[in-house]
Amino acid sequence: MSTEAVRTEPVRTESLRNESRITEIEMPSLSSLYGRAALGAARSKLRPGTGARSLPERTLLAKHPGVSAEQAESYRRLFGGEAFDGAHRTALPSVLVHIIGFPVQMALMSQDDFPLPLIGLVHVANEVEHRRPVRVGQPVQILVAAENLRPHRRGTQVDITVTVLEAGADPATVDVTAADSTTTTPAAAGHAGSGEASVLWRSVSTYLSKGAQLGTENSQASISQASGAEQVGSSAAVRSEDRESFVPPVKTASWRLGADAGRAYAAVSGDYNPIHVSQLAAKTLGMPAAIVHGMYSAGRMLEGREPEGAGHRWWIRFEAPVTLPGTVAFAAQPQGPKTVRFTGWNPRKAKRHFSAELQLP
Amino acid sequence: MSAQNIRDAVIIGGNRIPFARAHTAYATAGNQDMLTSTLNGLVARFGLQGEQIGTVAAGAVMKHSKNFNLTRESVLGTPLDPKTPAFDVQMACATGMEAIGSMANKIKLGQIDSAIAGGVDSISDAPIVVTDELRGILMEANRAKSVSQRLKALAKIRPGHLAPQAPGVNEPRTGMSMGEHMAITAHAWGITREEQDELALASHKNLAGAYDRGFFDDLITPFKGVSRDTNMRADSTMEKLGKLSPAFGRDLGSEATMTAANSTALTDGASAVLLGSEEWADQHDLPKLANFIDYEEGAVDFVDGAEGLLMAPAYAAARMLKRNNLSFSDFEYLEIHEAFASTVLAQIKAWESEEFCKNKLGLDSALGTIDRSRLNVNGSSLAAGHPFAATGGRIVAALAKALHGKPGKLGFISVCAAGGQGITAIIEGR
Repeated sequence: MSTEAVRTEPVRTESLRNESRITEIEMPSLSSLYGRAALGAARSKLRPGTGARSLPERTLLAKHPGVSAEQAESYRRLFGGEAFDGAHRTALPSVLVHIIGFPVQMALMSQDDFPLPLIGLVHVANEVEHRRPVRVGQPVQILVAAENLRPHRRGTQVDITVTVLEAGADPATVDVTAADSTTTTPAAAGHAGSGEASVLWRSVSTYLSKGAQLGTENSQASISQASGAEQVGSSAAVRSEDRESFVPPVKTASWRLGADAGRAYAAVSGDYNPIHVSQLAAKTLGMPAAIVHGMYSAGRMLEGREPEGAGHRWWIRFEAPVTLPGTVAFAAQPQGPKTVRFTGWNPRKAKRHFSAELQLP
Repeated sequence: MSAQNIRDAVIIGGNRIPFARAHTAYATAGNQDMLTSTLNGLVARFGLQGEQIGTVAAGAVMKHSKNFNLTRESVLGTPLDPKTPAFDVQMACATGMEAIGSMANKIKLGQIDSAIAGGVDSISDAPIVVTDELRGILMEANRAKSVSQRLKALAKIRPGHLAPQAPGVNEPRTGMSMGEHMAITAHAWGITREEQDELALASHKNLAGAYDRGFFDDLITPFKGVSRDTNMRADSTMEKLGKLSPAFGRDLGSEATMTAANSTALTDGASAVLLGSEEWADQHDLPKLANFIDYEEGAVDFVDGAEGLLMAPAYAAARMLKRNNLSFSDFEYLEIHEAFASTVLAQIKAWESEEFCKNKLGLDSALGTIDRSRLNVNGSSLAAGHPFAATGGRIVAALAKALHGKPGKLGFISVCAAGGQGITAIIEGR
């Protein structure tokens, strides 16, 4: 398997390379990033023969003071879960950890040398390894890197990795690549003082830039790189099932999402991307209507299912967006004692919105 | 502590008001109005004026916060001795059964000598509340210490916050209505449209027949000019029922079987049952229709569909029958609450299924078949309607009356409830 080469690379070598490219930034604000994105949309990125054809090598680092009790409570109100009572529930849901890392993802993607335009980027898959609990109020470090720029039949895809570390850990000792951590987890976690031991949470978010084409000269190289990337990158993206032959499973829940569902998630996450909060903006950007954030679906499907002690992993792959207002038919199907498969679909059109899986420790 | 003697809990009689389709005859009556009137009818029927009853237990599934002491306030509105204690019960559609069962237990233990138990529900006067957002803002304004803080809080109010909120009829953890849940269970058990329509038709015919025989003459008192359940359609036919379009499980397409006629209509109403020890009944020269023998609560894991939402009685029945060393063939009459026709049929099919009884109930073989000629013989919820908390009282009073004069003959009761719960019970004629 081509991934072996990446995996067997000594951690130390990776660390040294890593140190040289870490750039520390202040925790960014999403609203100013969306402002820049609107400007950036006017610039030429990835049009044939123009723009950058490779990803920036840099890893961004931001220190986060920790999720406040207020934000955790607003998240809980949105999804209706159990209270963060400081005794029985103190660990943050995976999607709330994603929420604090998201502005750093956005910061990386809105830098001048990032090859894809931020506006119009579609979140197609997300994979999370939630190694250890991240508690309410716990300060963390967030490392974000981009990799696996690759062609897709509808444009160009890229993986953004997010690694959430303990506050005091040395970020230079941590591997920020998306290499499937099943191979590294048990061994690396055992090394006292090793970087891997300080990793609380890591994810790979896969985005698609519709219509963006990689430069022609490099396309051959990009494609060959991409075939490997498919494997080291978000495995959610490759665990797709046949889209054409979707037969809805037996529904176990029904989500009725109001026209304000996007605004409600935006209020909790800070992600006021116009396609989620405004019908008009969504239509301008080529959507049939405002759509709910993909990670809203992830948060809702995971609510009440994540272990307080963490150690779980999950992936979600987004297909047809959920337009607002709308109803999502949802099925949770246990696949043995430790695995649950999730499916969300449009009950009237039998069109799949997402498929996902949770693997408990 | 010495072992206490368990004595009989006797069902003396019952009373209810006719059940009325929501937003019709009882549109302006609230829960307290209906429960008080029902208790008044019971007091009049059994001469309980000035009587101090051991305890009155009743409840409503949909209750205004102002009715925090609904049952006690209702008791105070009757000629019962105001020193009669009362409390509210709530276990969704099994509220009435839980109230009756727990009062019977108190009598059996000798803690009280008499009890009234029942329930009431109004769809027409359901509690409408403000949104969570608006309530949060109003509470924040209430806590504010200065005018500017208060104004700052109130400035957060948005037009969308002002929409009134009707109580949810969906299961909170799945977002699916009871009908949607039942449609999945019905489909899984392969229950046909025809079977469901037949059961619905039988319910109307049996209820109408019971009215015609005068069966309800001493079980019902009129309310607001209504003297019969307004949902009853004595002239219904299979042809008429067959014309209806599916109301639930529409995403099953051509395999959808549940219609408005084989699902219970939303209704308003109230019921109450008078219970006592044998001595108390004799001292007051009151009838003794039946003994309340036993009851069992059950719950299932429905959230991810491991079991159907309304299947808990299937499990409760198995435990209750085993404890009493009984089988279905031991029962003279069976009352299975018709939340939906398919609810009754799914329970029956489960008890008849060797696979279900072995794998899910842990039995050696199937629990057995149900003799349909003994099932819901005086009509059930499809015809009478189902004011949630009032259904237990309707069933217990009617079944006790049916078993009266048949000493030792047994009656079986099954009532499913929201939240994947249910209650089964046994009564014995005398």
